[in-house]
Amino acid sequence: MSAPQLLGYPRSDGRWGFRNHILLLPLHQALCNTAREIENSVFSAVAVSHDWSGEIDSDFERIAKVFAGIANNPNNFSTIFLTIGTETETKIIERSRVLGATPLHVLSLSDSGSMAHLLTSAIALASQLKEAANKESRVLAPVSAIVLGLECGGSDAYSGITANPALGLASDRLVELGATSILGETMEILGSEHLLAARALNPAVGQQIIDLVARYERSINYEGIDIRGAQPSRGNIEGGLSTLEEKSLGAAKKAGSAPFTGVLEYADHPTAPGLYFMDTPGHDIEQLTGFAAAGVNIAVFTTGRGTPTGSTVIPTIKVATNTQMGSVLADLIDLNAGTIADGSQSLEEVGSLIFDKIIEVANGRQTKAELGAHHEFNLSRLYGSTL
Amino acid sequence: MSLPEILGFGHSGRGVGVRDHQLILPSVVCSTRVSRRIAAEVGAVTFAHQHGCGIIGIDVAGIDDFFVDLASHPNVGSVLIVSLGCETIQGNELCAKIARFNPSTQYIVIQESGGVEGAVAKGILLARVLASQFKPSRQRIEELVVGIDFSRQIADPRALVDALAKQGITCISADQIHGCAKNFSTLMAQKAQVILSFTSENQPPTGFALIPVINVASASPLHNAIMGEFDLKSDATSEEIAALILKVASGAKTISEANQSGEIVAPRAVRSV
Repeated sequence: MSAPQLLGYPRSDGRWGFRNHILLLPLHQALCNTAREIENSVFSAVAVSHDWSGEIDSDFERIAKVFAGIANNPNNFSTIFLTIGTETETKIIERSRVLGATPLHVLSLSDSGSMAHLLTSAIALASQLKEAANKESRVLAPVSAIVLGLECGGSDAYSGITANPALGLASDRLVELGATSILGETMEILGSEHLLAARALNPAVGQQIIDLVARYERSINYEGIDIRGAQPSRGNIEGGLSTLEEKSLGAAKKAGSAPFTGVLEYADHPTAPGLYFMDTPGHDIEQLTGFAAAGVNIAVFTTGRGTPTGSTVIPTIKVATNTQMGSVLADLIDLNAGTIADGSQSLEEVGSLIFDKIIEVANGRQTKAELGAHHEFNLSRLYGSTL
Repeated sequence: MSLPEILGFGHSGRGVGVRDHQLILPSVVCSTRVSRRIAAEVGAVTFAHQHGCGIIGIDVAGIDDFFVDLASHPNVGSVLIVSLGCETIQGNELCAKIARFNPSTQYIVIQESGGVEGAVAKGILLARVLASQFKPSRQRIEELVVGIDFSRQIADPRALVDALAKQGITCISADQIHGCAKNFSTLMAQKAQVILSFTSENQPPTGFALIPVINVASASPLHNAIMGEFDLKSDATSEEIAALILKVASGAKTISEANQSGEIVAPRAVRSV
């Protein structure tokens, strides 16, 4: 199997980026509109919006980890933190500094003296960084540069027989070539965890997968809710899925058949190549945000119902599970895997098309989500329901 | 002494608003961008959130109610819900709930509109029709309700409330522990048309998309460093505060309103699934 020609931006910590973003990261909700205004005036700058006001509660650790991690995503050329000027913010920035190699800049409201000055100086800095980013050119990258995120949302009865197994083939091929691939969405492996655990590189990793799923189910039960009754979602049911177990068996197919190298907590960085399972919510954007904080630099998102969303920093390829949706909602979809069910293409052919699309997008081709500027960010909170 | 007259917008059955906002309400995070594009095109208000899907337990009804409260607030004229189609909170059902309070409500579904471009085009048309069908009349406000955010303690809250009462202003308040953003949502649900915020010494002033927020500074180093972002200084008298409330209620923009600063915090109790 020959390795494809992959072009990326080498970062000084050994990781690779496939985009060269200037990330605008406000550490207070009061500054999010300023970040959006900068995004609107500086091409290639991307802004994060959230509703955090600096609260230090039981979710603080999770939130700090996500801010520090996304600031260091290798797809960022540079990150500009917009701050109020508090010690809590300084701690998050310090944490980010030790995590990776992304050059970090800090502009604080209290130093600027006003929102207007903060906006002016941030636009000046972002424009200057954009020019520097434009001078960088892509160089030949090894396939191990890829850290792939596997995601599905708005699943239907086709997900488990078309797009997900085809993505699994692409993931397997990447892992075999030395790349990293991460499966998330703990809820969506509930009921199929024993099958994934059996594929673990060693029994300890297998047990970790089982334990994560059990912990997840306890955390939902803690709220007095039977998750197997609350899922699949209404949209899934309309798409033909009958039980959570059926949804899970289909969802897990995104991870192909490679052995699981390890298990990651939400937003943790993988330390060696291979296939990983990460504990994330099934909520699409909370998951993509966890991936972004973990250093994922490209993602494939299979969908049966169709959704326009994408990540702030990860180019996200949408694969349709059925041809009908793929053609009606063509402006959301990058690739149609419904041809497998139509009988016009084999699973292997579509797997190969997904693989090629990953390389093409990594090399700079814009996804539909990027072209439409759909780049959401959500903070995942547990509200104390941890066990 | 006769009470001062304030002119507002008669939003039929929901009281008189001090603003006439059109709300483009995404029912799920997936509709954020489509909502922003429509809002930018028609000059409406929208906001980003993460709550319409992957929610369980008491959050389902809690978020539904929160959306209904936002959409039926007296400062809101008409509402366009932007739904994706497969989310937990369904656009058509939410629309029916909101329409009981605010009949000037419509919805679009991205998955039923041929995708993003189709939804944006349809949304712009509908938002314009909604805005033109609904013409609020200018009315005298019989009772202006001001929500006071006491994120920090002030010397004499009683004297302030009394001074405002003299001007015919009714006050409701939200207390210290939650922080401004959560307090604003609470005061919104109680239909405050204007918010007066005494933000904590270590917090910046902030706003709320549908309600003008008047920020009063403290004497803290942070507030001194950004004094120009406050509508009133720390030594503002009750009379000065009341005078500004009346001006803002009649249309004067507050600083946070002009900056469009502040994201909306929805009440959540349970993790996403």
